[in-house]
Amino acid sequence: MVELRAVRHRYAGRVVLDFDQFALPQAAAVAVVGHNGSGKSTLLRLLALLERPTEGSVLWNGTVVPRRPAASLRRRVTLVEQRPVLLRGTVRDNLVYGLEIRGFGRSAVNGIIGDVVDRLGLGPLLGRRRHELSEGEIQRVAVARALALRTDVLLLDEPASSADTAAAGALYRALAAERAARPFAVCIVSHQLEDAYRWADDIRALADGRLSPVTPENLFRVELPAGDGVKTVRIGSIEIVVMTERTGPAVVAIPPTDIFVSRERLASSARNVFKGRVVGLAIERHGAGVHVRAEMGGVELVAAVTAEAARDLALAPGGSVVFSFKATAVRVF
Amino acid sequence: MDFLAEGVRRAWGLLIAGDSEVFGIALLTLKVAVVATVIACTVGLPLGYFLATRRFWGRRAALTVVNTALAFPTVVVGLLLYGMLSRRGPLGGLGWLYTWQAIVVGDVLLALPIAAALSAAAVQGVDPRVRRTAETLGAGPWRTACEARFALAAVITAAFGQVVAEVGAAMIVGGNIRGSTRTLTTAVALYTSQGDFGTALALGLVLVILALVINIALQVLQGRGNG
Repeated sequence: MVELRAVRHRYAGRVVLDFDQFALPQAAAVAVVGHNGSGKSTLLRLLALLERPTEGSVLWNGTVVPRRPAASLRRRVTLVEQRPVLLRGTVRDNLVYGLEIRGFGRSAVNGIIGDVVDRLGLGPLLGRRRHELSEGEIQRVAVARALALRTDVLLLDEPASSADTAAAGALYRALAAERAARPFAVCIVSHQLEDAYRWADDIRALADGRLSPVTPENLFRVELPAGDGVKTVRIGSIEIVVMTERTGPAVVAIPPTDIFVSRERLASSARNVFKGRVVGLAIERHGAGVHVRAEMGGVELVAAVTAEAARDLALAPGGSVVFSFKATAVRVF
Repeated sequence: MDFLAEGVRRAWGLLIAGDSEVFGIALLTLKVAVVATVIACTVGLPLGYFLATRRFWGRRAALTVVNTALAFPTVVVGLLLYGMLSRRGPLGGLGWLYTWQAIVVGDVLLALPIAAALSAAAVQGVDPRVRRTAETLGAGPWRTACEARFALAAVITAAFGQVVAEVGAAMIVGGNIRGSTRTLTTAVALYTSQGDFGTALALGLVLVILALVINIALQVLQGRGNG
């Protein structure tokens, strides 16, 4: 559907995005995770055709998007920013705004608005103005305003950051219901990995503007010392052994599937062995795997095991656990 | 103080009686002001939007020129325009000197910087997130600029205010000819110098009423846009 290719994007000379490809296929649900300042919001703005990449191209259904995209193309994608703003007027005026631009008639507008209002429980807010709403309510209205447009691509930047657990649940349920009724591509930036695993088909991780080659857990910024081969880098209070030729600032990633989980230290070839405490267990979307979050000397690491293995090891929050992984398992990018 | 009271009495008399000369001057003033404001804003508002939203080489210099033009003395504009429109001037062939069209040109030159500079400031003053939000909802550049419409309404009023109250250029290029190029401001200047304080005051009152009506219209518009 929409794709960024060979993108190198700069703000005031500083590279904020730098990757070969990011594709959002038709009807896909993709989550983008990453630290603050990793380039997630910028990525959404490029996908929303609001900005052009400094270098590289944006493709829509395989065709390069021109410098000034046609209004009809721009209207096939919409973005809800992390701290959305409402335009002048009431909540209803906001919901109507984009539909009027698209030339919908009054009865069609009423029908569409009725649907999203029901789905997101906005009925009591329809006559209110922006200064009469809480941050969470503004966020909900902004999502409803975007959903009402029925675009082919919906981009959401931390859509539940101001919502409580119940409101966030309602939001994700509304999204799922909308996608069940009408397939469209959705890309959500989130720092809640567990949420992302629950609803996304695919998860991408951004670190310092680069896409991680592995799943998004266990990403750390490090300073690689000079020299070749085996190096030791400090992350918080633990030291990780990596194998790389690179030096200087970099991001290291430890794929959760490459971490060996046990209750006791075992004799093995793994150069990295850390004993810690389980802080959480999360079941993956399809139920077969379990993500074990454990704290190792102030650093949180995530390992992936099967549900059966988690049962056999009797893993539970608060219990002790040992994570082991080889120096060659640590990816550097 | 008697002459003031006498002046006010005479002013009301002229207004209530519907003095044809007073109303003729008021109508010409309104015509000149409306035409000049429309032309100045048609050019100035898009220019201001362009200066506010596009990044190009020389943009800062262009903004400086427009802002400097805000303080251009009206008599200097009148003088330069007089030179251009006089028979020996480059635009002498138009035959516009001492016509209402000449006053319109002078007023446009004075109102254009106001329309451009203030609209640029108005558009720049819009929260960039509001502009971006309008874009994400599918709004084009003009619809997006409409988010500054209440500030732009103030710009139009300021331009109208400049035009309707202008006297220097109108006097020089219009010539203050009775029944032809005499506007409210030039007439006030003339009647005051002739000692006809009542007529001058009546014309001044009309001018104030015009300004008042425009400001009330703006306030109503802004009141509707709150929130």
